Amino acid sequence: MFWFCTGLVLYSWLMTWFYPKIGGGQYADLIESMPPEVLQIFGGTEVAFDSLGGYFQTEYLGLMWMIIVSAAVVLFAARSFAGEIGAGTMEFLLAQPISRARVAVTRIVAFLGYVLLLAVASFVPIQALGPMYGIDLGAGTFWTLFAFGALFMLAVGGPAMLLSSVYRDAGKPGAITAGALLLLWIADLVSNFSEAAKFFDPVNLVTYWQPGKIINGDPVAPAGWWIYGAVGVVSLVAAIIVFSRRDVA
Amino acid sequence: MSVGPSALLQCFARGFGTCQREGARAVEIISTQGLTKYYGKTRGIEDLSLSVPAGAVYGFLGPNGSGKTTTIRCLLGMLKPTSGEASILGQKVTLDGSDVRRHVGYVAGEVRLYERETGRWHLDYAAGFRGGKGVLTDDLVERFEFDPSKKVKELSKGNKQKLALILAMTHDPDLLILDEPTSGLDPLNQETVYQVIDERIAAGRTVFLSSHVLSEVERVCDRVGIIRAGHLVAEENVEDLLGKRLRHLEVRFGEPTAPSFLADLSGVDAVTAVSDVTLAARVKGDVVDDVLKRIAGRRVADITIQQAGLEDVFLEFYRSDGQIEESVAESAGEGEVP
Repeated sequence: MFWFCTGLVLYSWLMTWFYPKIGGGQYADLIESMPPEVLQIFGGTEVAFDSLGGYFQTEYLGLMWMIIVSAAVVLFAARSFAGEIGAGTMEFLLAQPISRARVAVTRIVAFLGYVLLLAVASFVPIQALGPMYGIDLGAGTFWTLFAFGALFMLAVGGPAMLLSSVYRDAGKPGAITAGALLLLWIADLVSNFSEAAKFFDPVNLVTYWQPGKIINGDPVAPAGWWIYGAVGVVSLVAAIIVFSRRDVA
Repeated sequence: MSVGPSALLQCFARGFGTCQREGARAVEIISTQGLTKYYGKTRGIEDLSLSVPAGAVYGFLGPNGSGKTTTIRCLLGMLKPTSGEASILGQKVTLDGSDVRRHVGYVAGEVRLYERETGRWHLDYAAGFRGGKGVLTDDLVERFEFDPSKKVKELSKGNKQKLALILAMTHDPDLLILDEPTSGLDPLNQETVYQVIDERIAAGRTVFLSSHVLSEVERVCDRVGIIRAGHLVAEENVEDLLGKRLRHLEVRFGEPTAPSFLADLSGVDAVTAVSDVTLAARVKGDVVDDVLKRIAGRRVADITIQQAGLEDVFLEFYRSDGQIEESVAESAGEGEVP
């Protein structure tokens, strides 16, 4: 937890610091000289590269940030139930006078706290240190980025939490969620090249994550909020129900 | 006789010792009816019905894989029974029975705690759920000579076991469920555990002790249930079990005697000739009178009738048509079943 948060703070600061050096027109020339397939991998082409949003999407928030926070939330969520059951500590915990629902809610509150911490570590450095490097997101853009980023983590970690409430060790929930995310990312990538593959976009979590557009002031598609919110909330509620009814030893 | 939850709650308030003295005898602290648990197609326990009265030390005996831990986990609401039901302290056990667990202390068969945390942290953590520091904490820490400042990962197996025992007993629960409680402890600490159990019983508490250490059961239990391949095959007072079930007989006759002299008697088996004039045999059940009458037909130089230890009785229960190996192999094949 500490290392993920520290890493994100440093990464965000580094990207903010680098913007005046490599952002802008020169950066756009460099990026546009790359094959479009490579740009797609880093989440580019949908925003102007010489814009602030284009820089952050391609260099940081489009792919690298997604990988880092996905790893962080999936690892945390996978350990929440299954990790404790596998380690045997759940048996000690449930020998105490505590209800299963309370155990589950406590785990979910901790998960939500972790998501908020990761969002703070990711976006606050850009907003706070940005003025030193000529970056001004504006309050509205910052809060949109913060809220939608946090919701993205909820949508990724929620299913991992649900799987964690089903399995007996943290390995499977982590592996299944990571595999599913990889498939979603590939589906998003393929849909950028093939019209025929776009049918999956409306329900693809990865497709909705367009931080460059948010930074450039474009609104987030309402479906994005709904999809992320619904996946996150439904998964977490289902996790409480499943954990309350399962064998834990 | 079982009593309702309200009567039991009154007993909680006054202590079971007081309750029993006042006449609420034979209160069932643990009761199961047809308790069955399958893990998919694998049998855990089947149709298990037992009863543990207040103030008893109930020994739950069986080899690995026989279903002891499965039973305990069903009692604690950690496993959902496939069928049947269990009740503790008059309340039906459910997966969410946190109220019942307030009155129960539990030591798991395999002690697993938070490795990065200290013993003190665990004691405080458990106290947080039970409304404050346990009344026996300081006494138990001192008697077990346990250092609570060390992290769990730094503790030996024996010290982890001590911590688990302290955690289970620190709030002086009405019911102690102990799964192999002396595992990893040296003889001195084992004796401390037995003493603490004796004290808890004297204070009116009840103990459900799962073990395959027969000497331990013989030492502390007054009633025993024997579980074999998921079934409760016997439930008796330890004294009765030891007293009537099995005896070792050795007779030195005044003349050469062949094993066939005793072998045809009902309840007598394993007749062997120790020498020309000495026979040894095993006597099962209430047939001592018949055996003595047969022996009296010859001149007897010496005779020894020794009560079998619990271990022999235990093995007898696991003998399957005279082939104990089959039973043990059957149990060993269930290694995945807790």
